[in-house]
Amino acid sequence: MKRQGVLIIGGGIAGIQAALDVAEQGVNVYLVEREPSIGGHMAMLDKTFPTLDCSACILTPKMVEVARHPNIGLLTYSELREVKRVEKGFEVKILKKPRFVDETKCTGCGICAQHCPLEVPNEFDMGLGVRKAIYVPFPQAVPLKYTIDDEHCIQCGLCQRVCKAEAVNLDQRPEVISLTVGAIIVATGFKIFDAKKRSEYGYGRYLNVITSLELERLINASGPTGGRVLRLSDGRIPRRVAFIQCVGSRDQRAWGHHYTGNPYCSRVCCMYAIKNGVLLKEHIHDIDVTIFYMDIRTIGKGSEEFYQRAREEFNVHFVRGRVAKVIEIPETKNLLVRTEDTETGKAIEREFDMLVLSVGLMPSSGIFELSKILDIPIDEHGFPQGAHVETDRFTTGGKGIFVVGAAQGPKDIPDSVIDASAAAMKAAISLARVKE
Amino acid sequence: MTKETTPKEDERKRILKIAEVNPGLQYELSKAPGAEKLMQCLQCGTCTADCPIARFSGSYSPRLIIRMAQLGLISKVLSSDTIWLCAACFTCTDRCPQDLELASVLRVLRNMAVKKGFIPEALREMGSNVVETGSVYKVPGSRIRKREAAGLPPLPKSNPRRLAKLAEIVGFPKLIEKRGM
Amino acid sequence: MPESKYLLYLGCVIPYRVLGYEISARKVAERLGIELVEMPEFNCCGLPLDPISHEMMLILAAQNLCLAEQKKLNIMTLCPGCNGTLHKANKTLKEDRGLREEVNRYLKEVGMQFKGTTHVKHFIQVLVEDVGPERIKDSIQKPFNDLKVAEHYGCHLLRPAKHMDLDDPENPTILKNLIEITGAKCVDYMDETECCGAPIIGVNDKIPFQLARDKLNHIKRAGAQALITICPFCHIMFDINQPRIERAFGETFLIPTLHYPQLLGLAMGIKPDDLALKENKVDISRVLNLL
Repeated sequence: MKRQGVLIIGGGIAGIQAALDVAEQGVNVYLVEREPSIGGHMAMLDKTFPTLDCSACILTPKMVEVARHPNIGLLTYSELREVKRVEKGFEVKILKKPRFVDETKCTGCGICAQHCPLEVPNEFDMGLGVRKAIYVPFPQAVPLKYTIDDEHCIQCGLCQRVCKAEAVNLDQRPEVISLTVGAIIVATGFKIFDAKKRSEYGYGRYLNVITSLELERLINASGPTGGRVLRLSDGRIPRRVAFIQCVGSRDQRAWGHHYTGNPYCSRVCCMYAIKNGVLLKEHIHDIDVTIFYMDIRTIGKGSEEFYQRAREEFNVHFVRGRVAKVIEIPETKNLLVRTEDTETGKAIEREFDMLVLSVGLMPSSGIFELSKILDIPIDEHGFPQGAHVETDRFTTGGKGIFVVGAAQGPKDIPDSVIDASAAAMKAAISLARVKE
Repeated sequence: MTKETTPKEDERKRILKIAEVNPGLQYELSKAPGAEKLMQCLQCGTCTADCPIARFSGSYSPRLIIRMAQLGLISKVLSSDTIWLCAACFTCTDRCPQDLELASVLRVLRNMAVKKGFIPEALREMGSNVVETGSVYKVPGSRIRKREAAGLPPLPKSNPRRLAKLAEIVGFPKLIEKRGM
Repeated sequence: MPESKYLLYLGCVIPYRVLGYEISARKVAERLGIELVEMPEFNCCGLPLDPISHEMMLILAAQNLCLAEQKKLNIMTLCPGCNGTLHKANKTLKEDRGLREEVNRYLKEVGMQFKGTTHVKHFIQVLVEDVGPERIKDSIQKPFNDLKVAEHYGCHLLRPAKHMDLDDPENPTILKNLIEITGAKCVDYMDETECCGAPIIGVNDKIPFQLARDKLNHIKRAGAQALITICPFCHIMFDINQPRIERAFGETFLIPTLHYPQLLGLAMGIKPDDLALKENKVDISRVLNLL
């Protein structure tokens, strides 16, 4: 009789925490992650709010623990394909996508990537940097095994020739793994709002308008510019930066095929913009940082204090006025921002070198298909629906399936971690019930 | 004893303003078609930021007008020139994150102003032209001849009787009649 | 289904002051096989009177729609203001039963009923949707060689996006595509979607003049040799008023302003006189030399 275990879908901070908390109870965990490495969005960040702690420093120890834990089976570059409810839980089928690299042989040395002739935009760097067709997404990847991106690979075979461990296997096939588990935790995280939909801000047309995630990669010392924040149009250091809040959030417009903003508040954008504003002040001497907002929502312990510090100590400017339009000045590629300073009642037009759009959070791509596979209800925004808004937001779609972290709704790191621990508890309880 | 600069004067002004506030009015206004979402405005300022008129005017602010409507402070608004400055370009309507149809709210306020007898002369003239001739302009004979010379078909005629009857039904003539203001 | 026969709705401004638009549009339509039927009767679309009385605007619009329904034809407009008003009234009356019943009660008194069997399109829409870029391309005989133009959509063709649902008002492309079929290159300029200010002429003349001057400055900076418009009111602001703006601010623009059908007509090989280019106030010889 197989021991009942827990299947966790998604290897971001919530999935990682849930995996550890379940495993520590002596229960088997299968952690399924569709990217080549676990880590999720938190691995992309530079510093976290409100403490300005280094994100990787908090995350990577947990990632390593997951890799080493005897009770955790890590299935990266894999996706859930089928779920069937049975008496003792769920029969699941997981598709292990071919990496074209034998995980048991690969040592992560990286010689293959050195020789690979193909450079493609790096998704981890939001397309701002490059990687090879054979790659690890970032240096602290777990597992540190190379993957061949078969969409771009030209099958030249160079990597195969130079790999000393003979780990490259261009004939690798997808594998289907069947498991029986007692509970499932959905920890699929989020994706950011597509800022192109707010075409009045010019994202995608104006080079110096970037999203907050792109800024995270520029600020990060292990990012494509080595931590130097530069303008994408000319590589110059920006001296005047503005943050535009509520891009794709708190937007009741939902008509036509041009406007599909999300009506809800994404909860984390005020804090992350203030954090990034403070980081910019620390990185660049004499930089002018302005945040244009409708409301500043700084929830959680230490957040309001952080906001006050940003205003008083770091001299970040705050303007209460939602930005209506951004115009690019053709000669300099600088940006004109039009807003009304509602505190003085004057319509103003200010010039900036760079704009950062604080994009909102949405359910991860593929959540709709996943909800069909799991047979769980999703709400009108695409988030899986919990059993009860106030008292049980985890349990979804009948017994044994739980949704946590940003997959449940926009959430910051502290709350995602707590969510995960709580769901781990719930999952263990539901397993204990089954055993009886 | 320090000299105080007539606080009583300011206080009187302030008290007057508060007495003018009529929060119940926004419920009435939001019943008018087009102004349904009036109370949802959270004063973010997006409408005024790119309003072509606000940018060149310095005193015109759609956001302020909506705020005054919310507070019921509109008697001054209705009698002023301000509401007639809206060019109905719909930029605000497109941008408002609360999906207020701002241009419609302004139109509702203009309709109210007209009912109270405030209407720009140019507009009044256009209104009376339409009832008479079907067009807001009285096309002069020279243009008619120009059309003929250019080989264009003659302009379609209007139906003044039908127009007058319908105008009467919706109470239009009363709105545009000249008053001794 | 592509159509080729439309009731032509001229509106109030074009017959009064902007005959060039009508003449060139008719010529181009004829060449492209669009049959334009005259309105049996005409009254204003109602847009200028909406500020006075919303019901009056609906009544005026509804009458035109009923006339079209009686003729069993759809309406093609030249003025985006008329287009927006008629289109929105049509849509609202079709969707809002209570409103439709109320309006029909009024219309009953004059023997009319709104049934909702017609629709309204702007000339540009007809070119894009009914004629199609391929057929327009086939009709080009004298493409422009080296002409750089700026485009001005105006406000009412695309806004409010909620009702018009034609193209993205922040980053539109339909007119650009139509312009480039003629061989002319469309240059980008700052703040392209800015309004011309025309609707408040008569209430406040200063602000529209400042707006139009702002636009003309940006257009000049971008190096455009001509400005293309699709609205008679915008055309008045940029063409007839251009010398006045130049005098008011002491600046020179000399930017010829053409209606789109004038540009297309020239590329089709139609003689400039047949396109009423004499009506354009700012000197257009620069454009003609680049044919």
